[in-house]
Amino acid sequence: MKTTARIVVPIILVLAISLLLQGHNLPGGGFIAGVLTTVAFALIYVAQGLDYLDSGVLGQEVESGAGVFEHRSVTAFRQTFMVGLAVAVASGFAALLFDEPFLTQTFVIVEHLPLYHELEFASALAFDVGVYMVVVGVLLTILSVVGAE
Amino acid sequence: MSVALATVVGGLFALGTFLLLRRDLVRVVWGVSVLSQAANVYLISMGGVQPGTHDTVPVLDAHGGAVPETTDPLVQALVLTAIVISFGTTAFALVLTYRAYQENETMDVQEWR
Amino acid sequence: MAPELAIVVTAVVLPFVASGVAPLVYRLAGDYTGYFGAVVALTCFGLVGTQLGSRGAVALPWVPSMDVALRFYVDGWAVLFALLASGIGALVFTYSASYMHDERSLARYYATLLAFMGSILGVAFAADLVVVFLFWELTSLCSFVLIGHHTEDRESRYAARMAMVVTVGSGLFLLVGVVLLAIAAGDALGATTFDLAAMLADTDAMRATLRESGLFVPALAAFAVAAGAKSAQVPLHFWLPNAMAAPTPVSAFLHSATMVKVGVYFVGRLRPLFGGPEWTLLFATVGLATMTVGAMLAVVATDVKELLAYSTASHLGLMVAGFGFGTVYGSEAGVFHLLNHALFKAALFLVAGIVAHEVGTRRVDALSGLWRDLPVTAAVTAVAALSMAGFPPFNGFYSKELLFEATYEAAHAAGGLAWLYPAVAVFASVFTVLYSLRFLGIFLGERPAAVASVHRPSLALVVPPAVLALGTVAISASPQLAVDTVVQRGVAATSAGRPEVHVEFPTHVSPPVVMSAITIGVGLAGYAVYDRVRTAVAALADAASFAHPNLWYDRLLLGVEAASPRVARTVHNGRLRTYVTWVVATASALALFGYATTSGLAPGVESTRITAAMGLVLVVAVVAAVAVVIAPSHVVGVLALSILGFMVAIFYILASAPDLALTQLVVETLVLLIFLLVLERMPAFYGDLRPRVVARDAALSAVVGATAFLTVVLSIPDAGADPTAIARFYATEAVPSGGGTNIVNVILVDFRGFDTLGELFVVAIAAMSIVVLIEMRDRGETQ
Repeated sequence: MKTTARIVVPIILVLAISLLLQGHNLPGGGFIAGVLTTVAFALIYVAQGLDYLDSGVLGQEVESGAGVFEHRSVTAFRQTFMVGLAVAVASGFAALLFDEPFLTQTFVIVEHLPLYHELEFASALAFDVGVYMVVVGVLLTILSVVGAE
Repeated sequence: MSVALATVVGGLFALGTFLLLRRDLVRVVWGVSVLSQAANVYLISMGGVQPGTHDTVPVLDAHGGAVPETTDPLVQALVLTAIVISFGTTAFALVLTYRAYQENETMDVQEWR
Repeated sequence: MAPELAIVVTAVVLPFVASGVAPLVYRLAGDYTGYFGAVVALTCFGLVGTQLGSRGAVALPWVPSMDVALRFYVDGWAVLFALLASGIGALVFTYSASYMHDERSLARYYATLLAFMGSILGVAFAADLVVVFLFWELTSLCSFVLIGHHTEDRESRYAARMAMVVTVGSGLFLLVGVVLLAIAAGDALGATTFDLAAMLADTDAMRATLRESGLFVPALAAFAVAAGAKSAQVPLHFWLPNAMAAPTPVSAFLHSATMVKVGVYFVGRLRPLFGGPEWTLLFATVGLATMTVGAMLAVVATDVKELLAYSTASHLGLMVAGFGFGTVYGSEAGVFHLLNHALFKAALFLVAGIVAHEVGTRRVDALSGLWRDLPVTAAVTAVAALSMAGFPPFNGFYSKELLFEATYEAAHAAGGLAWLYPAVAVFASVFTVLYSLRFLGIFLGERPAAVASVHRPSLALVVPPAVLALGTVAISASPQLAVDTVVQRGVAATSAGRPEVHVEFPTHVSPPVVMSAITIGVGLAGYAVYDRVRTAVAALADAASFAHPNLWYDRLLLGVEAASPRVARTVHNGRLRTYVTWVVATASALALFGYATTSGLAPGVESTRITAAMGLVLVVAVVAAVAVVIAPSHVVGVLALSILGFMVAIFYILASAPDLALTQLVVETLVLLIFLLVLERMPAFYGDLRPRVVARDAALSAVVGATAFLTVVLSIPDAGADPTAIARFYATEAVPSGGGTNIVNVILVDFRGFDTLGELFVVAIAAMSIVVLIEMRDRGETQ
């Protein structure tokens, strides 16, 4: 189980990120990438427990005995979805700076790049990142709170 | 064949409703879950269900060019958010169930007053 | 002359702003808040006064792209009404400062009174019918608060609630009428609009459309109920005498001069739009009936304020009847009497307040001979009461002459039963003379021994009624001047065409003069035997007590009070299955009813092509759902639920929805995980299945299933059908305006980004709720 997680989790995460970035043009997007990322983390929990991220990956001390809400990674999850909401709203307000209605999106296509030939930058990506962060944050919060019971 | 699709949606709605009326709170949550699946299938069928081909997928080939007749992308967008939201609400309902069990020490909704 | 937008807006908004700061002012200035209110009212009076003679619509753009604007319509009628509201408002505020000085909750009193004045000005000037409705209901709300000023008094609360139920409830009829008018405007004027000014500009087209669509009578009836309840017309007059539980300045301001006239005002407004035989039949009859019933009940009244309340209803009937008649005299009577009545009746209410304040009783029988102690008040009363009675040469005489003229003209033109109009008008006016003299009687003769001492009223109490009486005298002295200044323009606004109004003291015998002579003669003769008349009328009222609307109101309210807990016990009994049963059964019933009554729905039998693979997946999904229902344990059920979810995911793949399939697959995994995590902590309770309950639930489920089945069959699009315009739009615009080839994603993040944002908040709230649920328990806050 632990070995499987070790191998599969990075693959899932890479897949999730690629789904997020290509979401505008190919199947994918913030929602899908978000739930996939959650699955990757969920796998870590099932295999290693809630403390693994802190102790195993980041090498930090974990206070034992504290409630689930004081747990560092749970706090981080809650912050993630708050930040995600903020990003989504901010990307909406950005349009106001250009005298467009709230949440208006636009895009630019940059051509003549090495390797890619052309690359599209859509402002919607910022919003999608917000969506992604909210989904990840929310689902992981739910999962960790429920899992800690 | 829309009758077949209608039968499936109708059947899922009926089964979901039956679950909602049970005394076991977990089953009530299942009922909510089944109903949301049924609603999603219903929404998709409103977009016109066709056998999937390359063209009907609402992802275009490239920038520019002719736009093929795809299935309705709007219902898909609706259902996509509905899936994520129904996960959130199902999880909430489950936690609520769990807390209700802790407070009332029973899973029987008939015994709550 | 075109109206000035800034001035009109300021006049309407200023009272509301003042209302907002009134509590603060009261804290600083105490009783002097009354003078603050008076200054605000005078400012409005001045602002409105500058608009005298202007006519037209002004708008304050709000959402220009959707053509939403705050529109005001100014004409002679609106200005007259606004001048009365602000002018009398100023006097009432002055009076309140002295009259209310030892009362409690004055901050609320002044704030509400100011808000009320703003609402009245809003009703007067609003050109948008929705805004009219809004201000209309606001006046009712303010009236509710003011009638219930003595919150600890049971009667006060009863009266406030009654006024609220009758006037706010009938306001809903106004809304119905407004919507009907807007629908008619859609055909007549080319666009569905709530713009009253536009409707009044093209009354012929509006009327033709209303007649064609058959909405004329329903709309007229809706407005009649709304205006009738607001202006205390029979049989909805009963709330007005009860409303006398309010402090006297409120009675003078709201329940005689302004709020109750909103109905009359609106009747005048709509007269050019609805005028016709139905209009005359309805409003002339209702108005004259109210005039008679009000006047007779005023004669029976034992309380000074009750007498004035019934008299107010009676005079409102006179105005409504005036507007009911199609001739120009009718409109003249309505407009002129609105002005006259506001002056003399407000004065009389303020006098009643002085009497109650200084003598300590309001019983008609206990009062007489007060002229020695209250000489100025007595003089004011003499002017106002004689004007109310319609004695020449006071102004009430002129407006009543106009009504007599209108009834006579109508009877002369129609003949037959229409001769009842002048007869009833004279009959009612006789009683008007009787109670007017009776009211004056409390100042005449000798003071009874029971009334021990009479205080001298303060100047602030005497000046306002004196000003009103001076106004009455001024109009009496030169009626034509008043007509030229304000009345003429009001008449022009409430009638088709541009009539000329002439008012002068009659110099030769004409039918109205004869009618006035009969009225005054019989009235004077009747006053000699006042007690006998009163006994007779009281006996009549007792005999008809079964028809008293107050009784029916009480019964209705008691019935509702008794029925509502019974309904709540049935629908809302604390059992989940009861709620579910009611909700799903009602939803199914409504949907089925809709299908049954909608024509042109055809089932699309061959509308969808489903492949064998899709069919197989869906069958497995249903089988899984059945397995969920009959699952012997929680774990089995959750696994079956997962199978259902995965099958639906495969269905998404087959239905050309890769995004959905991906999401669904992953979410199902998470659902399974979270279910298993939670179920681990819960006992295996499954509930026993009793056959009767199962049969009942199965029947209900079958109904829901059948409804869903029908819905799909009826609403699924045809296989060969073109994509809807909206789907087409998104497909073609995804690349040019969204810059992405994944249409679903472009919709989510670009076209419908706002919706997605809302959904993000929903998900976030779900997470926070879960956190709160657990955290509350950890802190020990249960339940």
